[in-house]
Amino acid sequence: MKSKNLSEKILRSVKSKGFKYIDLPSVIEANHIVQRSGESFRKFIFSFIDQNGSELCLRPDLTIASCLRYLENNLKGKEKIFYSGQAYRKSNNKKDSIIRNQVGFEIIGSKNEKNDDKEIIKTALKSLSNLNYTKGTLKIGNVEIFNLLISKLNIPKRWKLRLLRHFWREDYFNDLLKRLETNSDVDPTIVEVDKKRYQKMLKDKQQTVIAGRSIDEILKRFDNKIKDPRRTSKGKNVSKIIKDFLKINCPINQAAKKLNVFFKKNNINLAVEQKYFPTSLNKIQKLNVEFSASFGRQLEYYTGMVFKIDIKSKSENINVINGGRYDKLISDLGSKKQVPAVGAALNLNY
Amino acid sequence: MIKNIINIGIPSKGRLRKDILKMLKKNKLNLVSERGERDLLGSIKNLKNVKILYLHAREIVERLGDGSLDLGFSGYDLLKESEINIQNKIIVSKKYGFGKAILVVAIPDPWIDVQTVADLEEIAFEFKDKKKKRLRVATKYPNLTREFLFSKGVTQFKLVSSLGATEAYPFTGSSEIITDITSTGETLRANNLRILKDGEILKSEACMMISKSATKSSLLKKLVKLLSKN
Repeated sequence: MKSKNLSEKILRSVKSKGFKYIDLPSVIEANHIVQRSGESFRKFIFSFIDQNGSELCLRPDLTIASCLRYLENNLKGKEKIFYSGQAYRKSNNKKDSIIRNQVGFEIIGSKNEKNDDKEIIKTALKSLSNLNYTKGTLKIGNVEIFNLLISKLNIPKRWKLRLLRHFWREDYFNDLLKRLETNSDVDPTIVEVDKKRYQKMLKDKQQTVIAGRSIDEILKRFDNKIKDPRRTSKGKNVSKIIKDFLKINCPINQAAKKLNVFFKKNNINLAVEQKYFPTSLNKIQKLNVEFSASFGRQLEYYTGMVFKIDIKSKSENINVINGGRYDKLISDLGSKKQVPAVGAALNLNY
Repeated sequence: MIKNIINIGIPSKGRLRKDILKMLKKNKLNLVSERGERDLLGSIKNLKNVKILYLHAREIVERLGDGSLDLGFSGYDLLKESEINIQNKIIVSKKYGFGKAILVVAIPDPWIDVQTVADLEEIAFEFKDKKKKRLRVATKYPNLTREFLFSKGVTQFKLVSSLGATEAYPFTGSSEIITDITSTGETLRANNLRILKDGEILKSEACMMISKSATKSSLLKKLVKLLSKN
């Protein structure tokens, strides 16, 4: 996709769907990113300090730059926008280019979520029709289903939060499941020793602060932890449910049915309708449309529907489009209110 | 002209220096310095073309990286902490088994609810969500610490660089927890700190390291071979 012609064609396709072109700054304040993701994003960004000591970075993706624009200009209401340009990221994979050419489009601040999801997918498909390919897949997932499943499981709250926090980090998530199975984060011998200490500390002044945490805070959390009523067998069972869920993979028109069978089998009080998904067509253009329960873990900021399009061109599989819903991104970046947002980006780097 | 002087770096102080000197002596390499013990330059008795430089152990790694040292002795921890461009230019040719120490995550001992890195991860989120602050980690090893904590799922933290006496940081308001190098754990205990159950970041020991741009002289090869035996 080196030709300028093609990227112009794509931009025209997006524009024809009623999106408005905007320019985005190449440099943003690193603070926004570090505040949101802690040090984890630091690995990817190119950052530097300006003369006033503020840390700036090259935009690691266009979505963050676009959400910052919405926030900083105090925009309200619905915006349908698109943009194109380069994003800059470090990568551990030597094959990856640090410069990523992207075209992105978004619907921000609209309450009509289900329709907007559909519109973004439609726009993605329209821009895809400019490309030459023989076949491909449109994979659809939804992070919300995972979140609901976790909320219904019979595990302590801190475990739920933990699993939700780390869904998008696959390796660490699998570590967590192992730990859930063996209950290895509460060591009975150490707990016995510390119980004595606990009794002693109860007599101390509860407001005393030790390295940023009050004794009261420490003891409350200790108490919660050892009262964790979980037995190992239970942990194993829950871990199996999660693993089985993540294995669900099927043509999109069977998604609701498969999920409902799964929920019923595991006595989970949840049900989903087929119209919950943005489409029920198993074939669109030259794409097979699939549902995947584990899909959506690539990026931390997705909160609902997620999708990606991979195409086969010259016997190579190429990931060309990624998108989804990120309703918490703008509030994470500093807005007091949650602002619904859904969008997608076309990768022009192959 | 072939560069035929071999530059060797030896730690200028501390236990690592003592251990390295002992090992050289055992191999019948006697170090001499014209101006006595405090001289920062020296040579090996009866060996021409060898220059000894006494440097800070961290600097030995740096100088191997830029090629101004051919051979050097330093800690494995310091090599691993150094920038990737430096590590790429250095070969570890021998791990000696002395100068052993472990880089660990240590927390205030009274935090009885925290036993593992997973607990720490929760605490880090509590700091972010409830206190609107980042958990601060004081360390002399920012690179290794960051990498380790990421790999264990702890992302919500802020590093505070320290040059020494890191153990006091949690109790002076400079940080909440620390990572530091320890051999027996005694200093940590004496300062009211406790090592996390799974808080081992890296095992270190004294190493012989060669710069990839080192001179190709046969004398260097001989020296490396001799010093690789024990």
